[in-house]
Amino acid sequence: MLSREQVELIQQEIDSANTPEQSAALRSLLQQDPEARAMAAELRRVAALFGQVAEREAPARLKRAILDALPQPAGASPGALLRWAVRGLRAVTKSMEEPIMTRKAMLIASAAAAVVVVAVGLITGFPPVGRIAGTIGGVQPAARYHGKVMTEADVSLKNPEIQALLQNDQVLHLVQSDAFRQVMENDAYRKLLASEAFRQLQDNEMFRQLQDNEMFRQLQDNEMFRQLQAQGAFRQMQSSEAMRQLQDNELFRQLQANEAFRKVMESDAFRQVMENDLYRQLQDNELFRQLQDNELFRKVLASDALRQLQSAEVFRSLSQSEALSHAFMREAMRSQN
Amino acid sequence: MKETPLATDEQDRALVARYLDNHQDAAGALVDRYQQRLFNVALRMLGNVHDAEDVTQTVFLNAFHKLRTYDPRYKFFSWIYRMTVNESLNMLKRRKPTIPLKDDLDTPVPGSGADGAVDAGTQVGRALMSLKPDDRAVVVLRHFVSFSYQEIADVLEIPVQTVKSRLFTARERLRLSLNEGVR
Repeated sequence: MLSREQVELIQQEIDSANTPEQSAALRSLLQQDPEARAMAAELRRVAALFGQVAEREAPARLKRAILDALPQPAGASPGALLRWAVRGLRAVTKSMEEPIMTRKAMLIASAAAAVVVVAVGLITGFPPVGRIAGTIGGVQPAARYHGKVMTEADVSLKNPEIQALLQNDQVLHLVQSDAFRQVMENDAYRKLLASEAFRQLQDNEMFRQLQDNEMFRQLQDNEMFRQLQAQGAFRQMQSSEAMRQLQDNELFRQLQANEAFRKVMESDAFRQVMENDLYRQLQDNELFRQLQDNELFRKVLASDALRQLQSAEVFRSLSQSEALSHAFMREAMRSQN
Repeated sequence: MKETPLATDEQDRALVARYLDNHQDAAGALVDRYQQRLFNVALRMLGNVHDAEDVTQTVFLNAFHKLRTYDPRYKFFSWIYRMTVNESLNMLKRRKPTIPLKDDLDTPVPGSGADGAVDAGTQVGRALMSLKPDDRAVVVLRHFVSFSYQEIADVLEIPVQTVKSRLFTARERLRLSLNEGVR
């Protein structure tokens, strides 16, 4: 039976950690003791097995994800700042050591990102299920809605806030931009918005309640979101009362448990959109940034009128409607002329 | 070729100084230097690609966030490897027990496994996951990062003797475990 010291000599030899004297002692041991030779052979085989394991390539997206999430220097693009905000939320929440924090962090980050996706969708007002040349989206009515059938004549966009938004130069310039059009025409984006899970999410009462939720809005409207280039912003966000309240918010927890919400956030389409270059281009787009900074746009997103509209059956029909697409583009082009 | 610890540390310090001087390109360079190695450490600790990716990202973000308070008396690579091991250990504590997918455990060695035999990567991956996390950390740093006993001790902030003890115990277990796998 080998002693512990003898086994250690063998192990250290494998690790090239023996002194010359120890190596000499080991050689002598191996010459005399078959058990030591067998042990040495086995341990060498174990070590050799590790040498046969190939190093795994880090995912290609990893570097980009890390760099995007870093605090940006003054003058960084707004899109990068937005991505940092989303990733920052993830890092912040991760640092709060709760058992389910990874999942929660992902969902918070995704929720923030989802708001952006939803916001873009809201400008056009429809999930572009199919594609018709000359429009930026929207096509067939969803089979699950059987409300009033909308016609072009019905698309009056009567709501004054929506109307004001449509008449806003920034909105019009944005929707007329190539970046915006390309995103709207992107397959992954269309698939996401056309997905049953995404529809369920939008229909989901909890999701709407969350968007209505004052704390969630506080977080979205938090000045830190708009001043992220400041070096101290990250630490401030960590201690943000709004963030803590959101974490404790029962509604938010319920939402996280919501199957439709999870499906959207975990869907390939959603990931593809988030990782899509076109989507990033849009986020980097100056017009998009202006729109997000636009007080009117934020007001519309936060308005009761929009929420009522979203929850109305007629809006759902309208939002699936090609007529809206035509009306919107007509309005946009008219304003341009 | 493995860089010497001294060369590594000097280059790291230069990049850290550059980053703190608001040169964002230094961040990219640091990520390039370490992402592959940290990702593989996390992967071997966790046995799951997505978790490893998650941990690697968190480590870098925390590292960049804390760079201004980083004590330059310590080696950067020891510091960032320590964060990776600690973050991996934290994730192991947080998560429920799972069975790693085969694909998560390894990248098969070219040419192996064609006859249906379990390849080295899978064997090692399984054996590693059978170790206690603290022992696994020592094995991973020794065999996948090629750290010396002293470097492992620095990273894990434990005595060299403890490194040896954990490594030898772990190897003994691996030896038995791998022998069982062969049978």
